[in-house]
Amino acid sequence: MSTRTAAPAPGRADRRGARQDFVSRNFGVLSISAVLAVLFVFFSVQTDAFLTTNNLVNVARQVAPTVVVAVAMTFVITTGAIDLSVGSILGLTAAALAIVAESGSAVVALVLALVLGLGIGLVNGALTAFGKLQSFIVTLAALTAVRGLALLITDGYSTPITSDFLLPIGNGRLAGLYTPTWIAVVVVAAGWYVFNHTRFGRYVVAVGSNAESLRRAGVDVRRIQLAVLTLTGLAAGLAGVITAARLASGSSNSGTLFELEVITAVVLGGTALMGGKGSIVGSAIGAVTLGVISNGLVLLRVDVYWVPITQGIILIVAILLNAKLFSRITGQRG
Amino acid sequence: MTAGTRDISTPRVEMRGIRKRFGALEVLRGVDLTVGRGEVVGLVGDNGAGKSTLMKMLAGAVVPDSGEIRVDGTALTGSGPRAARAAGIEMVYQDLALCNDVDVAGNLFLGREIHRPLTRRLDHKRMHEEAAKDLATLHIRISDTRQLVATMSGGQRQAIAIARAVTFEPKVLVLDEPTAALAAREVEMTLQLIRDVSSRGVSVVLITHRLQDLFEVADRFVVLYEGVNHRQMTPAETDLGGLVTAMMGR
Repeated sequence: MSTRTAAPAPGRADRRGARQDFVSRNFGVLSISAVLAVLFVFFSVQTDAFLTTNNLVNVARQVAPTVVVAVAMTFVITTGAIDLSVGSILGLTAAALAIVAESGSAVVALVLALVLGLGIGLVNGALTAFGKLQSFIVTLAALTAVRGLALLITDGYSTPITSDFLLPIGNGRLAGLYTPTWIAVVVVAAGWYVFNHTRFGRYVVAVGSNAESLRRAGVDVRRIQLAVLTLTGLAAGLAGVITAARLASGSSNSGTLFELEVITAVVLGGTALMGGKGSIVGSAIGAVTLGVISNGLVLLRVDVYWVPITQGIILIVAILLNAKLFSRITGQRG
Repeated sequence: MTAGTRDISTPRVEMRGIRKRFGALEVLRGVDLTVGRGEVVGLVGDNGAGKSTLMKMLAGAVVPDSGEIRVDGTALTGSGPRAARAAGIEMVYQDLALCNDVDVAGNLFLGREIHRPLTRRLDHKRMHEEAAKDLATLHIRISDTRQLVATMSGGQRQAIAIARAVTFEPKVLVLDEPTAALAAREVEMTLQLIRDVSSRGVSVVLITHRLQDLFEVADRFVVLYEGVNHRQMTPAETDLGGLVTAMMGR
């Protein structure tokens, strides 16, 4: 076979190349992991409470909604789109779950909340993919309208959840960890598989890299764009369910600024806002990092207003590192 | 003409009365093009004559305003890139159309990735193996099919684009400026490739500014001028000067 003769023997240069390749491809993940490790050590040393099982198990539960939506958001951002409506969808589904569960079946409430999230995502996706509107504008409109809808159906009040079927979704424990943590683990694993090992994942990268190329290769780009925004809608619905179940209450105000936290997590994880490059694992680590910062600062008893300030600074530092170091390490040509 | 010996009544490609308007500009004003089996047609014309647009229509990437496209007698007008590919039409675009953030094998297999039926898992191993094999067959030297296209030179990218078009047994191969970024040796390889595929019965349409290349491989020149068919001639009937004169509309 001609391969044998034509392929050069793997030499030292090739191996070095492979190692460089690994570093450059996973640079985003490696850098955010380093940041997380530093923060982890810092908070462990500076506070007594941080490095305790109880605290870590709690952090793992708190970050779950962000992790779940960040996984879906990674698909969206990798195509070069954005979804600003996830926080509002979270609020609406949390409120709807509580209201329906109170007046009827808990199972129906759960299904309805998820379908609601999926449906809003589908509308976002259809307007973006087939209506040829920018996802930024479409989901900005949804951010406003969906939050309004949530306030409308609740009159601004929160509704308690007492269902024995729903509460374990937020507070149940299995093998030491809370249900939300397990849900997040499953979502990350599934997201990683789909992103890296299926045609859909490949096309998500291709849409963000060169959508026209993918179209010419015979793939319907609009279906990919529709699917990713539907995914974030569904994920936000799931996050709404988790949040409401954990707090034992559905509030139309939950999830305010949640979209920015999710986008921050995704960008921290090395996903390019311009599309074409994304990492599911990076997004998950990014979300955990944000959770660790807010938890650690609270334990340090610094003023709670320092949490967003610190998160903002970490974001800028991470982006600068990515932008400046990344181009140098990978040496990409255009 | 090389295809003359196996004459079959329907031509492989038949484009009739193709029109296309972009805003105020009518790029194509009723163009006809026929390509026989195994025939190499050199499509020439000045910049803006409509060559690339005409070929994008054949590849399904642009929909004509009016006119008819048939491949082996079957209508294919405006049915999209997927249908065109399924009908055996492959095109190397002038702007390459590769995904920078996808690796070499991923670009070769874009749109027709191999995956396991049950788990939907991409068969990365097989795609990389086949990609390496295909590149070697075409004498394209790329040491690692896991490299991202973004890290490669213009010539390498062009080679990948050509490899993608010829690998999947096309019936019609459209090459829009395939040699623009290539060194002399690689140009010669590309021309040899065109001879090889056309001798296997593949129809080729070649657009290039290197007119001397056309004299080496083309069976027939079709000259477009400002969106209409201007001249048609064989290499025996003309020379470089005659071809240039025809391109200028005289």
